[in-house]
Amino acid sequence: MKSILFNIGYFIKEAKTLFKINLLSNVFTIFSTGLILFILSMVISGWWISNEVVRVIEKESEINIYYDEGIVKDDALKLAEEIKGHEGVLEARIVKKEEALKRMEEILGKEAQVLEFFEDNPFSGFIEAKIDLNTIDSVIEDVEEMYGITYIRDNREVLDRLYSISKILRILGVIVVVAVGITTLFIISHIIRLGIYNNREEIRTLRLLGAPEGFIATPFLLEGVLLTIGGGALAIILSNLTLEHLFTMMVGPLPFIPLPPVESLKTGLVIITTLLSIFLGIAGGIFGLVSSKVK
Amino acid sequence: MIEGKSIYLRYPDGTMALKDINIDIKAGEMVYITGVSGSGKTSLLKLLMGIEFPTSGLLKILGQTMEKEEASNIRRLRLKLGPVFQEFRLIKGRTAIENVMLGMRFLNLTPSEIKRASHDAMEKVGLEHKLLTPVENLSFGESQRVAIARAVARKPSLILADEPTGNLDVDNAVNILELLESFKDINTSVIITTHATHLIKNSNYDKLIHINNGNIYCESLGCSI
Ligand SMILES: Nc1ncnc2c1ncn2[C@@H]1O[C@H](COP(=O)(O)OP(=O)(O)O)[C@@H](O)[C@H]1O
Ligand SMILES: [Mg+2]
Repeated sequence: MKSILFNIGYFIKEAKTLFKINLLSNVFTIFSTGLILFILSMVISGWWISNEVVRVIEKESEINIYYDEGIVKDDALKLAEEIKGHEGVLEARIVKKEEALKRMEEILGKEAQVLEFFEDNPFSGFIEAKIDLNTIDSVIEDVEEMYGITYIRDNREVLDRLYSISKILRILGVIVVVAVGITTLFIISHIIRLGIYNNREEIRTLRLLGAPEGFIATPFLLEGVLLTIGGGALAIILSNLTLEHLFTMMVGPLPFIPLPPVESLKTGLVIITTLLSIFLGIAGGIFGLVSSKVK
Repeated sequence: MIEGKSIYLRYPDGTMALKDINIDIKAGEMVYITGVSGSGKTSLLKLLMGIEFPTSGLLKILGQTMEKEEASNIRRLRLKLGPVFQEFRLIKGRTAIENVMLGMRFLNLTPSEIKRASHDAMEKVGLEHKLLTPVENLSFGESQRVAIARAVARKPSLILADEPTGNLDVDNAVNILELLESFKDINTSVIITTHATHLIKNSNYDKLIHINNGNIYCESLGCSI
C-alpha cells in the first residue's frame, strides 16, 4: 500500500480519539497495567538480587573460626598460619576483638548504643578464612580437629537458605508472569472491545466502503500498545524509584551483603518491561478484536 | 456491468422484499430506481452494495457474483463502488475533507493523489469553503454533499445513491440529482433511488426501473410516471 506512511498519522489520530472517548477507563487501564507490571518488576528484581548474591557468596565462602580464649597471641597466629596452609583455604587472618566490636558498631549504626551496656568488649577475636566452596566440608572437618578450636561458624546454612529463597522467587516469578499476562490481556482486550463497540457505526461504514480489516483494526491495536506502553513506563518509573530507595537503605546497614550493581538491574528491567508491554498490547488488542461481536 | 436474473430477496422475518427482479445495467448508464415508500428500492440497492444477498437468483456486478460465500471478493468489489448512504454515514469528530480522504486511504493511492482527488471532489460538490469544518457543524444539505464527495472522489465504476432527495425541498433536490447525474461517465454508471418521481421528469436518464411491491413494474420509457 502506497499510503502506509500517509496513514500512520491517521492511525495515531484515531488511536488518540479512541483514548479520549473512554478517557477514564483508559487512564485506569494505564494505572492498573502499570501497577501489575511494577509488581512483576519487583519479583524479577528479588529473584535477580538473590541469584547474584548466591553467585557472589558461592565464589568465595567465608568461615569464622573461634578459638580458646586462653590461647596466647602467638599461638593464635600459628593457628591461622596452619589453617592458611590447608588445601582449599584461600586466605586466613585474625580478627581481633576490637575489630569485631567495630564491625558490629557499623552494622548496628544508630542502634550501636546497646553495646554501651557492656562494660567490657563482649566479642572475642576469631580467625576469618576464605575457602573454596568445593572443599568447605573437608576444611571444616579438619580444622575442627585442630588444637584450641572451639567453634566454627560457616555460611553453608545461609547459602542454603538463599538457594531456597531464589528458587521460591523463581517459581513466584513464573506465576506472576503468567498472572500478569492473563490479567493484562483481559484488561486490554476489554477496553479494546469497548472502543470497538463505541465505534461500531464507523467500523460498519469503513467496511461498506471496502476498507480491509487490517486497516480498520490498526487504530485499536495501536490503542492497546499505547495503553500497555503507558503502563510499562509507569512501572519502570516506580521500580526505578523503589530500587534506588531499597539499595541506599540496604547498602548502609548491611555492608556484608554483596549487592550487585543496581544499574544493570535497572537496564534489564527497562528492556523486559518494554518488550512485555508491547507484546501484551498487541496480544490484548488482537484478543479484543477477535472476541468482539461487531460484525 | 450489472446483471441480475430472477432475483428474490426474503428477509429473515419472512418479508419478501424483491420478487423475480431482472436487471441489466451497462457501463456509463444513468439509472433511476423509483417506487413508493416500501416498494423495495433500498432493498435492491443493498443487493448492489453487497449488504444483502439474493435469496435466490443470480446477481453479478463487474463480474463478481454477489453471494455470502464471496465476502472477501465483495469487500474488494466495494472499493470500486461509490455509495451515498441515505443516512450519509459520515465519521463524526472529523472534518469534511478528512471524511472524503478516509474513503480513499485504503485504495492504493499516493498521498498526493488522495489530497488532490478529495479537494477536487469537494470543489465539485461546491464545498471548497468547508474543507476543515467538522461534519457535526454542517447543515443537512452540506452533509449530503460531503457524502457525495466521499463517494465520487474514489473515482468509482458505480455510484449508488439511496434516496438522496429525502429531506430536501424541490430546488435543492433537483440540484442534488443534477450533481449526481453529472458524475456519469463512460466508465461510471450512476444509480439513484427516489420515491419523488416528479423530480426526474425532465431528467436525462438512460434507464428507469419502477418497482412496485417488490416487482419491477415497468422499465424505462414504458413507465408512465
Ligand atoms: N431488514 C429488514 N427486515 C425485514 N423487512 C425489511 C427489512 N428492510 C426492509 N424491509 C421490508 O421490505 C420492504 C421493502 O423495503 P425497502 O427496500 O426499504 O423499501 P423502500 O426503500 O422502497 O422504501 C418493506 O416492506 C420493508 O418493510
Ligand atoms: Mg428506502
